[in-house]
Amino acid sequence: MPAPRVVFTPMSLTSDRTLPKGAEQETDPRLPPVVSYTLANGLRLLILEKRFVPTVSFTMFFKVGNADCRPGKTGLAHLFEHMAFKGTTTINSAGYELEKPALDRVEAAAQALIAAESSGKASAESLEALREELDKAQEAADALSVKDEYLKIYNSLGESGLNAMTSADYTVYVVSLPSNRLEAWMTLESDRFKNPVLREFYRERDVVLEERRMGESDPNRVIWEALLSSAFSEHPYRNPTIGWPEDIRRLTRTDAERFYRTFYTPDNATLTVTGDVDPAEVIALAEKHFGDWKRGTAPDRNCPEEPPQNGEKLRAVRFNAAPALRIGFKNPGMDHPDIYPLIMAGETLSGGKTGRFYRNLVEGRQLALYAWAGASTPGNRYPSLFVVAAAPKAPHTAEELDAAVMEEIARLAEETPTRWELDRTLNNYQAEMIKQLESNTGLGMSLAQNEAIMGDWRFDWKAGEHLRRVTPEDVSRAAARYLTRANRTAVFLGAQEAA
Amino acid sequence: MRGPLPGKPRLAVPAGLAVPQPAAFKPPKGTRAVLSNGMVVHMLRDATFPVAHLTAFIRAGKIHDPAGKIGLGDMAAGLLRDGGAGGLAPERMDEKLEFLGASVESSVGIEESRLTLTSLSKDLDEVLDIYAAILTAPAFDPEKTAIRREELLELIRRRDDDTARQAVREALRAFYGPGHPYGWRPEEATVQAVTGDDMRAWHADFCRPGNVILAVAGDFGTEEQLLARLEARFSGWKGGAAALPGIPPVGLPRGRRVFLLRKDIPQASVVLVLGALKRHDPREFALMVANEMLGGGLSSRLTSEIRSRHGLAYSVYSYPVKKPDHGYLLAYCGTKPESAGRAAAEMLRQFDLMGQEEPPAEEVKRAKDAIANSFIFRFPTPFDLISERAAFEYYGYRESALDDYVDRINATGQADVQGVSREVLSTGDALLLFVGDPDKFDARPDEFGPVTELKEE
Repeated sequence: MPAPRVVFTPMSLTSDRTLPKGAEQETDPRLPPVVSYTLANGLRLLILEKRFVPTVSFTMFFKVGNADCRPGKTGLAHLFEHMAFKGTTTINSAGYELEKPALDRVEAAAQALIAAESSGKASAESLEALREELDKAQEAADALSVKDEYLKIYNSLGESGLNAMTSADYTVYVVSLPSNRLEAWMTLESDRFKNPVLREFYRERDVVLEERRMGESDPNRVIWEALLSSAFSEHPYRNPTIGWPEDIRRLTRTDAERFYRTFYTPDNATLTVTGDVDPAEVIALAEKHFGDWKRGTAPDRNCPEEPPQNGEKLRAVRFNAAPALRIGFKNPGMDHPDIYPLIMAGETLSGGKTGRFYRNLVEGRQLALYAWAGASTPGNRYPSLFVVAAAPKAPHTAEELDAAVMEEIARLAEETPTRWELDRTLNNYQAEMIKQLESNTGLGMSLAQNEAIMGDWRFDWKAGEHLRRVTPEDVSRAAARYLTRANRTAVFLGAQEAA
Repeated sequence: MRGPLPGKPRLAVPAGLAVPQPAAFKPPKGTRAVLSNGMVVHMLRDATFPVAHLTAFIRAGKIHDPAGKIGLGDMAAGLLRDGGAGGLAPERMDEKLEFLGASVESSVGIEESRLTLTSLSKDLDEVLDIYAAILTAPAFDPEKTAIRREELLELIRRRDDDTARQAVREALRAFYGPGHPYGWRPEEATVQAVTGDDMRAWHADFCRPGNVILAVAGDFGTEEQLLARLEARFSGWKGGAAALPGIPPVGLPRGRRVFLLRKDIPQASVVLVLGALKRHDPREFALMVANEMLGGGLSSRLTSEIRSRHGLAYSVYSYPVKKPDHGYLLAYCGTKPESAGRAAAEMLRQFDLMGQEEPPAEEVKRAKDAIANSFIFRFPTPFDLISERAAFEYYGYRESALDDYVDRINATGQADVQGVSREVLSTGDALLLFVGDPDKFDARPDEFGPVTELKEE
């Protein structure tokens, strides 16, 4: 039997304090007592008070990711994320009235260079002259900026984990501070998202190209990129989040500013605040600093639908590294009821050392160094992939391992998993739900993601209820329906081209 | 932060933020106790969530492997958990733990091994039984030993797939010498040489109550209840502190050394290594501040110049590492092969500048604030805090070292920073390692010093 559900009585409710009108606190004892509130401009707040050390973690989550980037503009969401560390009209600027025209001259020079490079007709000399012009314009603009001021302020405030992440689905900005810096964060971040200035754009684009080169040197990133670009033919999930290099080289500051205006609006943002804070104070300060942020117009989210897959896709990637295997099966999406049996299938195959992959492939037949499965990659907003990641142990090959993985999957489709296997997954799921509450940063991220992408911060708990209702027969049925050869893409990476 | 430039109309930093109040925080002490068998326990109760965490610091690291059996610690520590214990077969142990959603994991580090436990409080007794059996009576199952050995051999085959990790590893190997425990790496032959008897001897020599410090946090009942639980499981386990194998003295040649590892890869790696401080050197706080300025923080000099100003790298940083006798400071930069020379020259320049010029007071203050104000983030949970207390004892720090850490940072002056920079960060004796295709580099590696070419095996 699965373990009984845990009740969160030790987490104190903040009912002794007066929350402002419109704020709600979760009172179901099985859930953490999250306070939720929405500003008039649509900014959604989720607050969880936790007191051990006087710190607070912030997660500013925007529902915009690489899937929202237009063809030819892949990587724009990620490049904007980098630019959001470059200051505002007042921070990092020595005087914006003077700096703005200098930045506009940089933009004109950069666009002239990109146009010349893209034409394919410009001579080497004229390209060099345009590059020099851009360098000169950048230097002139640099002289009117205050380098890294935004970062230095956070440095002095005692930040921890100041960072941002972009995915196919979202972009998120995180930082933790001593809790007496609550208003400092509100001041800095409201300015950051209301008044950004994308200075040093073309140098930061070079940094991103280096980030891309780092990925091109890493076999793990190379094989994932190959899997996604092969599995999806139309849907933007096929594009790497960092962007295709030829797209990155042509992105302009003007593109990024348009992108910002479209997607960086309060009604597209969710803010979670977890830690040693008073929810009423968080709400009051959010109203004070973010209240005048202008609501946006709903962005066009239409993107090409992925056509049904009509047969197995196989791809070999030559790379000077030990062999590896990635398989992706099209899943029906997180809003489809079959996703729950697929999650259970993934866990039955690869949950821990008692999972079938470990028992039979890593130990047992000793074919694999590792093998695991997951139900939804690279995102949850659209139907995505059930993936298997594995690497063979020499002298075995990726092809042998692939055959063994497919045998395990076939067995799951033919013979129902045991009740013990499903209960083990449910018990682990529940233990994880409790453990995730221990970390402010991890919890803030998961609450925001669930609220913005899955529609409810309680999603993980609700999913737990769905998983409880999955029967062994459901798992086999889902495996037989989705984890088929005709529905899969397999990528083999190795020093030798696979046969 | 840098002062306003001429023409700057007003202070950009909102007035309320310019002088942040110091973050006053005194880390809870927790309780230190000694079991009847001499094992030290640090504990901190926190019943916010129905979970308990425990970790054992075991005095046995990779540097304590015998020279012909490098990888012994990796094999033995891994098999503590995976090789069965106390009459419980490995598969049965996996089933019991995983059905409870609990975990027990073991690993070996450079100077310490760890055995950790996470369990829902309601299952703590059952999981603790398994944990105690693993620590006191591991079985080192022969079949699991063979699997673990094959896994380590496969990891050796794959160790150069990640160029950045390869570059850092090979730089340290070249720096200390491949035969010194600080520089060595396991090889196929040394892993093959490890026997079951070696692992049993490893356990008998190192896993003894006098060699172990436990850290426990979470919802474990009262401290008395926890101690009773531990006594019930460990009081019969005996053994004082063990003598650790001696580490040969470190011999570092004088003068610049340059190493080159040819690899056709889209991004080159440049690594700089310098001899730094041993543990408990009174200059460690000044070096921490110096490194924060140089390559530790987001707005550090290396990041600001190489990444932000010149766009040469995404990843560039530095960090100091203490050792029992002779630590190091390492800087890393990943850049396109066409700018490897420029990046290396800028790294060297920034290192030397640290000692040559008096560091601006404002920059020293910012570095100190950054370290002092973010100190509390070392303890996001009670378990992190109590583990830190145990680690401080493990590494021989005074009992109050954690409590006056911030004061020691704040007491660091400009002269201390410049002094330690001159002593540690001057690059005359630096080792520089390039990984990449030198034909594409913008400078010849021998422009930086005499070059030794390394071969990928």
